[in-house]
Amino acid sequence: MNPHDDLGSALRALPLAQAPDDLWPRLAAALPPARRRKPLRAAWPAAIAAALLLALVWPRSPLSPPSPSVAETQVAPAPAPADELPALRDRSQDLERWLGVLARQSPQDARSLMAAAEIADLVGLVDAQLSVARDDQEAVPLWRQRVGLLEDLAAIRSLPVTALANQDAAIPDSIPL
Amino acid sequence: MNRPATIRPLRASSFDVNSQFPVDIPETVIARARRGEIAAFEQIYRSFEHPAWTLALRLSGNREDAREIVHDAMLRLFERIRQFRGDAPFWGWVRQIVLNEALMRLRRERGRSFEEIADDSEILIEPCTAWQWTEARELDAALDALPALTRCVIWLYHVEGHTHQEIADLTGRSVSFSKSQLARGTARLRQRLDPVQRKSAAMPKHEVNA
Repeated sequence: MNPHDDLGSALRALPLAQAPDDLWPRLAAALPPARRRKPLRAAWPAAIAAALLLALVWPRSPLSPPSPSVAETQVAPAPAPADELPALRDRSQDLERWLGVLARQSPQDARSLMAAAEIADLVGLVDAQLSVARDDQEAVPLWRQRVGLLEDLAAIRSLPVTALANQDAAIPDSIPL
Repeated sequence: MNRPATIRPLRASSFDVNSQFPVDIPETVIARARRGEIAAFEQIYRSFEHPAWTLALRLSGNREDAREIVHDAMLRLFERIRQFRGDAPFWGWVRQIVLNEALMRLRRERGRSFEEIADDSEILIEPCTAWQWTEARELDAALDALPALTRCVIWLYHVEGHTHQEIADLTGRSVSFSKSQLARGTARLRQRLDPVQRKSAAMPKHEVNA
C-alpha cells in the first residue's frame, strides 16, 4: 500500500471549504465602477509619441553620465548592485515627485489616461515583486523596471504640458506681422 | 538561493489533476468580462469562489489570510483578464493567480521563508490505514497543525497535482526539498491520525515496551 496515494485520496475527498461570508460585495466595491477601457494597443501609439517627445524635453537624468569615449566604454566595469540601488531609488523618488506635479497641472485625454492606468498597474506589480525580493541582486532589475515604467508614465502625463508649451512657442500663421 | 514567488507560465502537467478548480467558463462570459462587464466578473467569481477559498485556506491555514488572498487574487484576475490568451484552460489561469497570491502572501506575512519541518526530524514511511477511517474534520485539523510550507507542498502535490519540480519552482526551493517535505509531512500526519501511534505516543515508555 502506498501511503502517499492513500493520503492523496483522503485529501482529495475532503469537501470544498466555504467562506464564512460572501466575499463578493467587498470585491465588487473594489472594482472600477465601469470598465470601458479600450484594448491597450489603442493606447500605445500615444505612449510612444509621448516617450519620444519626453526624450527631447526631459532634463538630463542624474543617472545618465556624460557620453563616454570609445575607450572609456570598453574598460568601464558594470556597477555592482549595491552601488546602483541608491541611484535607482533616488531616480524613482524624483520621478514620483515630478508625476505628482504633473498630475496637478495636466488635463489628459481618454487615450493617455488608459495608457497611464495600464502602466500604473504594472508599477504595482513590480512593487509586489519588490516586496519579496531577497537581496540587492534581485532588487536591482526590478528597480530598473520600476524607473523605466515611471519614465513611461511621466512621458504620457507630460504630453499635454509639452503640447501646450509648443503651442505657446509657435506663432500661428494667421497672425499678421 | 530562494527565489520569490512570481506569476509563472502554466505547464501542461498542471492540468491532468484532481484539482477542484476545473470549471468551464463560456467564452462569451470571458469576452464580456474583458469588456469590463461587472455581471460577467461576478459569474466568474461565483464559479471559482469555493475552489479559490479552499486553496487559499489550505495554503494559508487561517480564514483572515484566505479572505485577503481570494480578494487580491480576484482583483488581479479582473485587472489582467485581457492578458488571458486562451491557449490554456481558463480555470488553470485562475488557479495559478490564486496560488501565486497565496505564496506571495505567505512569504510576506511569515518572513522570507515560511516554516517547514526540519530536515533532521525523524521520518518513517510505513503502510498506514489512518487515512481510510479518518474523519474529514480530523484530517482538516491535522493538516492545519502542519507548518505552512509543509502543508503547501502536501496540498499542491496531492490535490492540485503539481510535480516536485513545479513545487520547487513555485516555492523557490529544490526538488529534493519538496520530496523531503512531502515525506516528513505525511509521516507527521500519520503520527497524528493513526490510533496505534497516537496511543504509543500517549503511553509512558515502559508500557509501550512491555
